[in-house]
Amino acid sequence: MATDGEGTAGLYKDTLLAGLWRENPVFRLLLGMCPTLAVTAAVKPALTMGCCVIFVLVCSNIVVSLMRNLLRPHLRILMFTLTIATFVTIADLFLKAFQPEMSAALGPYVPLIIVNCIIICRAEACASKNALAISIIDAVGMGAGFTLTLCALAGVRELLATGKLFGASVMPDWFVPWAAMGMPVGAFVTLGLMLGLVNTITGKKD
Amino acid sequence: MDKVKYFFQQSWLLIVASFCFGLLIAVANAGWQGRILQNEEDKFNNLVVEMIPDANTSEVALENVEVESGKGKTRATSIRKALSADGQCVGWAFTCEGSGFADKIKLVLTVDAGFEKLKGYGVLSSNETPGFGDKIKDQFYRNQFVDAPTTELVLMKLGAPDVKDAEIVAISGATVSSEAVVTIVNTFLGQIKSHMQEKGQIGDGN
Amino acid sequence: MLKNITVSSAPHVSKPLSTRGVMLDVIIGLAPAMLAASYYFRIHAIVLIATCVVSCAGTEWLCNLIRKKSNSLDDLSAVVTGIILAFSLPPALPVWAAIIGSVFCIAIGKMVFGGLGANIFNPAMVGRTFLTASFGMLMTTWMVPATIDAEVRTIAADNTVDARTQATPLAYSKQALKARTGAEAVNEQLGAAFTGEIGGCLGETSALALIAGVVYLLIRRTINFHIPLAVLLSAFAFGSVTYLIDSESSISPLTHLCSGGLLMCAFFIATDPVTAPLTRRGMWVFGIGVGAITMLIRIVGEYPEGVMYSVLLMNAVTPLIDRFYKRIPAGGKASG
Repeated sequence: MATDGEGTAGLYKDTLLAGLWRENPVFRLLLGMCPTLAVTAAVKPALTMGCCVIFVLVCSNIVVSLMRNLLRPHLRILMFTLTIATFVTIADLFLKAFQPEMSAALGPYVPLIIVNCIIICRAEACASKNALAISIIDAVGMGAGFTLTLCALAGVRELLATGKLFGASVMPDWFVPWAAMGMPVGAFVTLGLMLGLVNTITGKKD
Repeated sequence: MDKVKYFFQQSWLLIVASFCFGLLIAVANAGWQGRILQNEEDKFNNLVVEMIPDANTSEVALENVEVESGKGKTRATSIRKALSADGQCVGWAFTCEGSGFADKIKLVLTVDAGFEKLKGYGVLSSNETPGFGDKIKDQFYRNQFVDAPTTELVLMKLGAPDVKDAEIVAISGATVSSEAVVTIVNTFLGQIKSHMQEKGQIGDGN
Repeated sequence: MLKNITVSSAPHVSKPLSTRGVMLDVIIGLAPAMLAASYYFRIHAIVLIATCVVSCAGTEWLCNLIRKKSNSLDDLSAVVTGIILAFSLPPALPVWAAIIGSVFCIAIGKMVFGGLGANIFNPAMVGRTFLTASFGMLMTTWMVPATIDAEVRTIAADNTVDARTQATPLAYSKQALKARTGAEAVNEQLGAAFTGEIGGCLGETSALALIAGVVYLLIRRTINFHIPLAVLLSAFAFGSVTYLIDSESSISPLTHLCSGGLLMCAFFIATDPVTAPLTRRGMWVFGIGVGAITMLIRIVGEYPEGVMYSVLLMNAVTPLIDRFYKRIPAGGKASG
C-alpha cells in the first residue's frame, strides 16, 4: 500500500485514488479480464456487473478484514473463496429477483465473479493485512475503478456496435453500426487501444 | 483424540463461517424466491401477450402433459389457454425445452385457437453464443415462425425468410442453434397437438 | 526502416533489393488487374482503389506521427496494402466503409505490431475481416460488371433478374451444393470468370489480368513460384476430389481456381514476404494449408468464400512453420 499521503485522511484518499487510476484493476493491474471482455458489449450490463463487483468486493473485504487475525495461513484462500462465493450468490439472487433482464443478459458472468481475480487479490493484498476502514475504502476505490473502466469500454463498444447508449439511439441516421465491435474482436481491439492510450498518458514506454 | 482436537483447532473458523454464510444465503433465498418465480411467470406472460396481443388472461387447460423429447426422456409441460377480455379462446401457449448449442433452450410456443397456425415463439432462457446463436431471439428468425403451419417444420440454409411456410431459413453462422429451435418446436408441437385432440380440447380437424 | 538494413555477410546480392523496389514491382504486377477492374466496374473501381490507397497511406503517416517514428510512407507498402484491400472489396461498397477498413488494416493490422515487417497477419486481410464482420450485407452485395447488360444474362437458377446486383459464382456453387444439383450453370461461367466479366470483388474477378501480373512478378523474381503453386495445387487437388465424387453438386476444380479470390490470394496475398514462411519447405506447407483451408471453407463451411480466413489462419501458424523448417545457414548445419 502506498503511504505517501499525509496522516490518516491522506492515506484514505490515497487508497481511494489508487483504485481509480494509479492501480486501476483493469488498466494497470490487468485483472478481471474475463468480465472486461465479456460483458462490455453494452453499457447497462457493464454497469450492473460493476455494481455487483463493488458489492461483493466491499462485503468480502469487510469480512476478511474482521477475521484477519483468526485466519490460518494455509486455510486463508479457502476462507476467501467461501466468503466471496457467499456474496456472489446473494448478488446473483438479488439480480434475479429485482433485475431479471440484466440477470438474463449477464448470464453466467455473475456467478463467475467468484473467480474474478480482483476480489481475491484485494482480500489477499489489502483486507487480510489492514484494518476495517482502509479495507472498505480500498474495496470502494478498486470497485469504482473497475466499474468506470468497464463503462468506458462498454460505452465505446455500444456506440459503435449499435449506435446507442443505454439502449437509446444517439447516433445520426446515416450511421451504419459496426457489428464487429459488439463481437469479441471489438472487445479485444477496444481494450488494446485503451491500454495503449493509458500507457501513453502515463508516459510508460512500450 | 489429539487429531480431532487439532482438526477443530485449525478449522473451527471455516466451519463457523460456513454455517453463517449458509444461513445468509438461505435467508436471501427465502426472501427473494417468490419474486424470482414471479419474474419467470411475468416473462412467460409478457411473451404470450407479445405473440397473442388479444390475450388478456390465461388459464391452465391441461396440466403435466408428458412429451417425449427423444432418447426415451419425457418432459412435462402444462398447456395454457389464452383468453381475450370477453372470455374467448384466442390461442394456446406452452413452454418447451431442448438442448441448444451451449445450454438448454427454453421456449414459449404459442398457437392460434384452432391449433392450425403458430403464433410464434419466445425465448424464456438460453445461453447461445452472443452475436450468433443468440440471434434466435431476433425478430428476423422469430418472425418466420409466425403464421407457420403446425405441421413438421423444415430448416433450410437458403431460401426466402419472408414467406410464411413450413420452411424456416437458418441464421447464417448459427445452424446448430437454428436447428435446435426447429427441433424443439417440432418435438413438442406434434405431440401436444395430438394430445389436445385426444382430450377434445381442439377438433381433430383435417 | 528496412531499406537501411542491407548490410550482410558474403555472398553479397548484386541486385539492389529495397523494400521500395519490391513494392513498386508488386504495384506494377497489380496494374493489369487494376485496369481490368476499372474496365468492368468503371468509376466504382477507381474511387474504391483511390480511397483505400489514400486512407491507408494517411493512416500510416498518422500512426508514425503519433508514435514519433520516422515516416515510412516511401517504402510504398501502405500503397500495396491499400490496393490489395480495395481489390478484395465488393465494387459497390460505400466510400466510408472502405475508409474504415483501410484505417483498421493499417492501424490494427500493421502499425500496432510495430510497422512493416513486424505484423503477424496480412494487413489487408485483417481490414477485410473487420469489414465483413461489421458490414456483412454491404460486403456481400455484388455488382454486375458494367459491360454486361443485366437484362440479358444471369445465372440465377430461378431466372430472377436483378438489374444491379448478382451473386458470385461461388455463392451459386454453395446453393448447388445444398440443392445437390445445378453445378453445371456455374461451370458454364468459367469463361466469364477467366476474363472477369462476372460479379465479385474488384480485383479478383479477372483471372487473366491476375495471371498477366504474376508473370511479370515471376520474371522479375519479386516473388518465387513456391507459394502460388502450392496454393493452387492443393486447392486444385481438393476441388478435384469433390468433383470426382459428386460432379452434380460440386463445381469443377478449374472453376474453383478462377472464381473468388483464390488466384488473387495465391499470387499477391499469400506471397506477402512478411507474413509467409521464409524457407522453401515452409512455403510449401504454408501454401498447401492456404489452398486446403480455402477449399474446406468453400465446400464444407457456411461461407461461399474462405480465402481471407485461410490466409489469416495460416499467417497465425507461420512462426511455427518457420520454427519447424529452420533456415540452414550457408555452409551447412552448424556442428555441435
